[in-house]
Amino acid sequence: MRLLRAFLLVLPVLALTAVTINAHHAFSPVYDGKRTITVDGVVTQFRFVNPHAMMLMEVKDKTGKVETWNVEFAGRLNLEEAGWNAQTIKPGEHVKVTGNPAWQSAQRMAFVKLVRADGTELEPGRAQRLSAIEEERRQRAQQRAQQPK
Amino acid sequence: MRLVPVLLVVLAVACSQAPPPPPAARVPSKLEGMWSDPPPTAVGTFCFFSCTDAGIERLNALLDDPANDKRPFPQLQAEAAKYQTDTYLRPRLTEAALKTYPLDPADDPGFLRCEPWGLSKQMFAPHQLEIRRVSDDQIDLRYGEWEAVRTVHLDGRAVPADQPPSRLGYSVGRFEGDTLVVETSKVAAGITWWNAQHSDQMRVVERFTRSDDGNTLTLTATIEDPWGLREPVVAKKIWRWAPEQKITPYDACEPATAFKKGTNEP
Repeated sequence: MRLLRAFLLVLPVLALTAVTINAHHAFSPVYDGKRTITVDGVVTQFRFVNPHAMMLMEVKDKTGKVETWNVEFAGRLNLEEAGWNAQTIKPGEHVKVTGNPAWQSAQRMAFVKLVRADGTELEPGRAQRLSAIEEERRQRAQQRAQQPK
Repeated sequence: MRLVPVLLVVLAVACSQAPPPPPAARVPSKLEGMWSDPPPTAVGTFCFFSCTDAGIERLNALLDDPANDKRPFPQLQAEAAKYQTDTYLRPRLTEAALKTYPLDPADDPGFLRCEPWGLSKQMFAPHQLEIRRVSDDQIDLRYGEWEAVRTVHLDGRAVPADQPPSRLGYSVGRFEGDTLVVETSKVAAGITWWNAQHSDQMRVVERFTRSDDGNTLTLTATIEDPWGLREPVVAKKIWRWAPEQKITPYDACEPATAFKKGTNEP
């Protein structure tokens, strides 16, 4: 098993969850949408299910003790829209995962971004959606600028 | 031989008559099929779950203001949603509904016990919606979220007086041109998408229309509830034509065990 290194990086972030992707239940009772943390470890299980996909990963803390982290995703119904499938994340993969921490559970987060060992990134559909919206806004601003004053 | 002209006349009259009209309740193929999450536009995303014209107008005003060009979209979306709540939704709530508004999302039965949504949230559920023709007199609305199925009766029947309230209510429908109109009543008391309580007196009229280019489906729902609303709420939702999508099993819900109360968001 490759060396596992765990670190926590707490950053204030914009409430990306305002782009409502999670459905089944409200986000706020479980996760702090204003902070993100990042952990580095090895995937042990990825369940591509509804209403929420789940991933378990083994992460070493600063003392070398291995902890099991639980990462919650949007559901299969939603992830398939973004082109994901049951093989998108494989057990044994070494990954770095960023997410919103749970209020009450120390080793649990809501998925924001995953970086694989080769540096490629995996983001949920909301990132693609936000990117398309920003392009729409650029075009809107251009049209506005071309209008006679 | 005298009979020949007579037969020819009879034949000519028969042929001149128009063919029988198609059944009035037949579902236009324009609506049937699979729909899913809205196009990745600003308005489509604002209406991902549901929205109102008041909110859409506010969002467009924010997007058209050059002062907001550098602000992230989620900020503008949140501002438009707050405007929608403060100026449109909250003023429509009765004193009775305001007593518990906004409900604590940690008390949601779907969250706590994996109880499927009632009509007021299900009809706006994100992700897949399949409109499926079952017979001349019935169509089903099949949702990805909770794998819920609503039956819409198109045979002109009245709602049975002794029909007990249920989670998704009792729906009858008709076509007005290419628009499917669904009227639902007998809905058990529950929670609205704007996070307020509603009573079993709630009635909903949904109008489903497909865009001229065929790419989107818009729902305009008029919601009345003499217990919870001073006047009707008119809400909208947009889906994208998505024949490649499918509804997958919804069988891994786990009741919440660790959560925080008091994160109410209107």
